[in-house]
Formats: sequence, structure tokens, C-alpha cells
Amino acid sequence: MIGGLAVRDLAGGYAPGRDALRDVTFAAGPGEIVGVLGPNGGGKTTLLRALLGELPVRRGEVELPGRPAYVPQTERARLDFPVSAFDVALMGAYARTPWFRRVARRDRDAARAALARVGLADEERTSFGALSGGQRQRVLIARALLQDAPALLLDEPLSGVDGVSAARIEALFAELRAEGRTLLVATHDVRQASEWDRVLCLHGRQIDYGRPAAVLSPETLRETYGAELIVLEGGGRAVGVGHHGHAH
Amino acid sequence: MIDLGAPYIQRALVEMLLLAVPAGLLGSWIVLRRLAFFAHAVGTVSFPGLVLASAWGIAPQFAALAAALGFGVAQERLQRAYRLGADAATGLLLVGALAAGVVLASDVYESGSEVDTLLFGSLIGLSESDVWVTAVVAAAAVALDAGLGRHWLGTGFDPGGARALGLRPVAADRLLLAAIAVTAVVALDAVGALLVTVLLVVPAATARLLTERLARVRLAAVGLAAGEGVAAVWLADWLNVGAGPALAVIGGVVFAVAACATALRARAVPA
Repeated sequence: MIGGLAVRDLAGGYAPGRDALRDVTFAAGPGEIVGVLGPNGGGKTTLLRALLGELPVRRGEVELPGRPAYVPQTERARLDFPVSAFDVALMGAYARTPWFRRVARRDRDAARAALARVGLADEERTSFGALSGGQRQRVLIARALLQDAPALLLDEPLSGVDGVSAARIEALFAELRAEGRTLLVATHDVRQASEWDRVLCLHGRQIDYGRPAAVLSPETLRETYGAELIVLEGGGRAVGVGHHGHAH
Repeated sequence: MIDLGAPYIQRALVEMLLLAVPAGLLGSWIVLRRLAFFAHAVGTVSFPGLVLASAWGIAPQFAALAAALGFGVAQERLQRAYRLGADAATGLLLVGALAAGVVLASDVYESGSEVDTLLFGSLIGLSESDVWVTAVVAAAAVALDAGLGRHWLGTGFDPGGARALGLRPVAADRLLLAAIAVTAVVALDAVGALLVTVLLVVPAATARLLTERLARVRLAAVGLAAGEGVAAVWLADWLNVGAGPALAVIGGVVFAVAACATALRARAVPA
């Protein structure tokens, strides 16, 4: 499985004449995890939407190895829909299922396997809305796994999830990296992003991109987060941001 | 006692059973996708068209369809041009259409007792061609639901992620709204312009109370629409009232019973 994606001089937005995001240029290779950092409204979700082709792009280019899989924030999904964890995971097979056919048996088996991979084999028949926040996040990741996409775009997958789910998700990230998939992960957690391969800092525009050790300086984080930042200095490195940390 | 040998009763029963198919299938999406106000409005806006059709001798289905299409176009333009929310745009057009219908019926054409039939439906007025049209719409609804159900589910469950799943949310949603409009139009003869939601919303809303599985919601909605429809024919014939009000009473009672049963069950099973 070969991943990898490239963005050059990207700018775009919904409002006429006003860019929600601009000057974004970066490339991520196969098997890399990129942490996308930024304050609320800084352009993290906007970037993901641009990569999905949903943002009116005014300038720049996006190169993707195929249709990426998308994992939204769990609160964007409707919890009152009468769907089970299995139903949601199965949505990952919709793109390859002809409109006049049922979802194939092998895809149904793959949906069960994806739920098992995220540790939810026993919750297959549970209503999506009855699951915990962390379990819901894992079901949405299982849906993305079923898409078998070379690149995965994840919008704050670790925000507000329980410790068990966070550990599962982080272990899964390592597996996906080993498979050669590219992961773009929007997050508020600087400590976590510092453990990944690359970091992209956004605040309406690209502030910096590169290896965490080079990018995560207090100066860059101040420019990225502005007044939202609380930096705990330790050996000259920024190790924490006082905003939306995930629950361990 | 209902005379099952009477042709108008037979037509009414077949009409209600056929209407139960699109009403149950599309009604489930109406409830899940929160389109009940749209469904109500698309029936009501046809009222002035029906008054004109009656006065000018035009087929009521054509007039109602034209009104429904005009409603869809006007709603989209209001939303885009004036940045109105869908609810506000729908409310504006609904009130305007109802007012225009009342003025046309009472002051221009003096439609008199016909207004009751237009607003609340009639079993006597159903013709064989009405039943055939409903059969075609029922078949189309089954085909559309089979082909687009996944798009409607994926888009409704996670609007932001639908495209990434390879779905076509905009085109699929337009077809859903069009299918609802056409179903509302064919249901007008039986249940009337004001009470289309009794058929399109109430059985599906009741079914939603009873189960957490989508397939069961849809089956239950079709079954409830069929059962309530048949009971409404009997009640309407017995009380000599329109089928729409009879269906509203039965649907309301069934919903209330289901709601009470659900509440009692929830109380009996601790969380």
C-alpha cells in the first residue's frame, strides 16, 4: 500500500473573496503521520475538507494517491440514527458497491474484521448512539479502515476519548504507518504530535511544517496559538498546550 | 358496516395499501432526515393549485405537481438570495400558499364545499386512474429507495463525511425531495392537502419509537401506514368524513399508544 500526498500553495474558503486558509505547502510520504496543529478556527478542519474536495480552492494544487478516507469528529455524526456499529463500519464499502447490489459478503466480513481491529467485535450490534465517545470514534475509524484508502484524514480523533480508546487508536496509527498509509491527524495535543513524523502548524495560513523537533519551538507555537497558548517550558521545548487536551 | 363490494371502497382500500409503500419507505427518511416540515409544506402549497385546477377543469395532479415544483425552486432561491434558513423559507411559502388558496377558494371561485375535499381528501372521488398512478409511484419509490437508500443513509448520518465515502449527497438529496413531493401529490386525492403528513410522517415516527434498527423502522412504517390506511377507510366510511381526518385520528392514537408503551418499557428496564 503506497500513500503519500502533496499540497502546493493551497488557498481557499467558502466566503467570497476571503480565504479561510492560505499559503499551505507540504508533502507527506507513505507511512508518515502528520500532526496538524492550530487553534479553533485555525484551519485544521478546513484543510481536511480541501483535501476531500469540499472546499472551494482558489489557488494551489493537491496531489492524492486516491480517494482518502475521512474520520470526522464524532459529534458531527447523528447519534439518533437507528444504525448499529456494524452498519456504520459497513458504510466504508459503499463506494465500491454498485447501486443495484447489496454490500458484498466479503465486505460484510471485512466490516466485522475492522470492528475487531479497533477492539469492538463485541459491540457489532450495539446502536452507534449508545456507544461511548471513544467507542464511537473507533467505529468511525473502522469505517475508514474498510475504505482501504492509502491516506486517512482524521479530525481530532483523540479529543475527549477515554484512555482505553486513546491507547487503541494510537496503536492502530502505528499499524497503519507500518502498512505504508499516510495519516493526517488534526489535533490540539502538542505532546502527542511531537511523537509523530511531521507537524503542520496552521493559523489561517501555514506557520511551519517539518520534523517535530524542528517545528515545535515556543515561538512557532505562540505564532500558531496566539493567546490560546499555555507553554510549559522544559529543556527549551514546548511540551504542552492549555487547550482541549484529551482525557487519559 | 363497511360495504366491501362497493367499487369506491375497493378503490380506496387499494389506494391506501399502495400509498403505504412510498409513505413508509420515504416517510422513514423524512423522519430520520428531519424533513417533516418540508413534507407538510409541499402538500399544503398545492392547495391554490388545486383550487385553480378545479375551477379550470385541469387534472389536479398536474396542478399540484406544478405547485410543488414551484415551491422547490422558490425555496432554493429564497435560501440563496436572502440567506434564509430552510425552515424560514418553507414557512414563508407555506403561509403565502395557504392564504392564496383561501382567497382563491372563497372570493374568486367560490369553491364552497369543494374546499373541504381539497384540504382533507375524499374516498368517493378516487378514480381508477388515481390508483394506477399511485401504483406507479409506489414502484418508483421502491426502486429509488433500493438505489439511493445508501446515499440517504450515509448523508443523513454523517453529512460532512458523505463525499469521502464516495456518495453523492447533493444529487441524492434532490431526488429524495422530488420523490417526497411526488408522493405528496399522489396522496392529495385521498388525504387532502393539509393532512399529507399524516401519511408521510406519523407511521414512520411511530415506527421509529418501536425499534433501533433501520430495516425494522422501514418495514414497520410500511406496515403501520397500510394498517392505519385500511382502518381510516373503514372509519371515514362509517362516520362519513374525509379519509385524511380519519387517518389523522387513527395515526395519532397509535402514536400515543406506542409512545406510552415505549415510556413504560424504558421505566421497566433500568438504564
